[in-house]
Amino acid sequence: MTGDATTSTRGWPRTILHVDMDAFYASVEQRDNPELRGKPVLVGGRGRRGVVGAASYEARRFGCRSAMPTGQALALCPHAIVVRPRFERYRADSDALMAILERFSPLVQPISLDEAFVDVTGSERLLGDGVAIARDIRRLVRAELSLTCSVGVAPNKFVAKLASDLEKPDGLTVLPPVGLAARLAPLALERMWGVGPVAAEALHRFGFRTFGDVQRANRDDFVSIFGDSGEHWYELSFGRDDRPVTIERTAASVGHEQTFGEDLRVAAEVERHLLAQAEDVAIRLRRKELKATRLTVKIRFGDFKTISRSTTLDSATDRTDVLCDAARKLFRAWAANGFRPVRLIGCTAGGLVEGPSQLGLFDVDRSEKQRAVDHATDLIRAKFGKGSIGRAGRPDADE
Amino acid sequence: MKLVCDRIALSDALALASSVVPTRTTAAALSCLKFVARDGLLTISATDTEIGISTPVASVSISDEGEALIPADKLNQIVRASEDSTLSIDVNAKNVAVIKGQDSTFKIFGHEPREFPGVQAFPASKIEFETTAGMLGRLIHRTLFATAVDNSRYAINGVLVDRKGKKVRLVATDGRRLAVAKGECTRAGDGDAPQCIVPTKALNVLGKLLSDPDDPVAVARQDNLLIVRVGEGADAATLATRLVEGSFPPFEDVIPKEHDKRVTFDAGELTSAVRRAEILTNEESKGIRMAFGATQLVLSSRAPELGEAEITVDVEKYEGEPMEIGFNPKFIMDVLKVIDSPQVIIELKAPNKPGVIKAGNDFTYVVMPVSL
Repeated sequence: MTGDATTSTRGWPRTILHVDMDAFYASVEQRDNPELRGKPVLVGGRGRRGVVGAASYEARRFGCRSAMPTGQALALCPHAIVVRPRFERYRADSDALMAILERFSPLVQPISLDEAFVDVTGSERLLGDGVAIARDIRRLVRAELSLTCSVGVAPNKFVAKLASDLEKPDGLTVLPPVGLAARLAPLALERMWGVGPVAAEALHRFGFRTFGDVQRANRDDFVSIFGDSGEHWYELSFGRDDRPVTIERTAASVGHEQTFGEDLRVAAEVERHLLAQAEDVAIRLRRKELKATRLTVKIRFGDFKTISRSTTLDSATDRTDVLCDAARKLFRAWAANGFRPVRLIGCTAGGLVEGPSQLGLFDVDRSEKQRAVDHATDLIRAKFGKGSIGRAGRPDADE
Repeated sequence: MKLVCDRIALSDALALASSVVPTRTTAAALSCLKFVARDGLLTISATDTEIGISTPVASVSISDEGEALIPADKLNQIVRASEDSTLSIDVNAKNVAVIKGQDSTFKIFGHEPREFPGVQAFPASKIEFETTAGMLGRLIHRTLFATAVDNSRYAINGVLVDRKGKKVRLVATDGRRLAVAKGECTRAGDGDAPQCIVPTKALNVLGKLLSDPDDPVAVARQDNLLIVRVGEGADAATLATRLVEGSFPPFEDVIPKEHDKRVTFDAGELTSAVRRAEILTNEESKGIRMAFGATQLVLSSRAPELGEAEITVDVEKYEGEPMEIGFNPKFIMDVLKVIDSPQVIIELKAPNKPGVIKAGNDFTYVVMPVSL
């Protein structure tokens, strides 16, 4: 299908690109550490309960996949090298990727760290047609990040995402609007957006296995069986999707969570991890120039039962001390009512706002001093690394 | 209990009393209004156990004295939907209320009057101060808007009442702005009264009781209750409220003692300018920039992805160096709505220090800026 790369996107109603990095975390690790190149690499937790965040293509050959327990992945590929994730590093590469995309259009919608939609409809006159832009993006990503990506070029988001996946890794796939339905017809419905294992099984039960099967169905009958989702799937089967590429200027939330190798049985120990998370959340808020109005603490027990406790903050804040206080209060209120050993603890800041910040009347002195402390620690971290400075009592203080 | 009353007068009293009735309650008696018909007078009471109100109903003719406890919701609907000029209410010993109009008969199942918790009577011996409904209403109007819904550190979900001699002031804050309104008592107890914090809901209800500015008002304290009597003699209405516990923030400390910039505006012109600048702000960028100069104030705002605004206002008088400062326009509009003087004065010191808005000698508003 790469032959399509000679097609022009001129005259399409919209030209949408889906850019997807190839085995992102694993590729970053292989780039940064030559010893890992050409070898099966699993990025993820090493412990008993570790999960694979990304598997290099060498590891995928053995059946290793992301979201698989590390133990299971190692059973499939015993000689795989497990690497601890370095999210700060991935985030920096992700920022660089998004910056490259923004050179081609202001309409960039990041889906995750390694994936984004770009609407280049308005850029074609100035920067060449969609296929040329896709080629430029792939060239720049290779030159500036030393990484590869796959790009799908299509008249809408759904088909673009489908296209980028067809020739992975390091592919460029164009799916033009003309003849689209016929091109999609042989594809399995598992490739359809919003069709997970459960939905797929339901579709199979009624004899629908490919996009073509759905295209041939009577629309009303299909919708009466599958409801609102059915309506959506029917449109998608022809490659019709009119959702716009939207600029997500603000993340919905910023959070951290951690699963422990063994359930933690001491409340104070859990609290130490939680406060370190709250501190990291505050640092990320400041870096993104966001402030939170809500804080949520999530606690999971050995039996996987999960609870969460939320509080609304008096005013939008990115201050370490305020977020730590709020997290501590929530945790202690829960722990006082009967502590149970904890398998996972997490801390999420939500209700994020950006822009000018309202000053308070009654905590002026404290807030100015604390802001200075936060600013100084941020600078020290930026210069000497994450482990260089932090609140006393962090569980990772010695690293 | 059996009586005939003017429907409009009854409807007004029901609306007032119902503003206290809790919307969700498991205690049936609390969702009811209590009727007491005695000595030719009908009084309607309601309580949510925090706030209680008793209000008289005008134009009633009582044929059988007695008490009744009638569900507020249905009674209100019946009286509001009726087109009769008078309605008769007859409650039998089994607590069934029969409400009759010209062409209608409603039966509502009431409750045993003794189940009603009651409303604290006005303790005439514990009067703190007396004033007029006009004065108290004005103080409430000028402060109530600045209260907070909830705050983890301070008790600011109410208004602070502070009396020193015959001078009384109400203070409200949400932690970002502060309103202080001052007034005079017609009579006051000896010395200074201990400060107390009155819940926002109680002041909202009280505001409705203060509709006639000439009504005399007496305010009393008993235990942790504040009890207000509006009107005189048998026609007086009473509101009793529990006080907010907890500490009010140190508000005196944040009222700036000095300033080096002082601007005078026509209140109407400033209101119009802020209202227009507010158009191009959004949830995320709740700030307008105010650039003060010798002859003009330039307000500007920007809403990402929407657009920008710039409005120029003539300054009547400016003392000091030019300065730029950001404010949440809502906080400025809120105060401009409640001041009734033709001129407003803004005093400033620095872009990160509170601004002060004054109207006359009896109102001060302190507002923290936004950092732009």
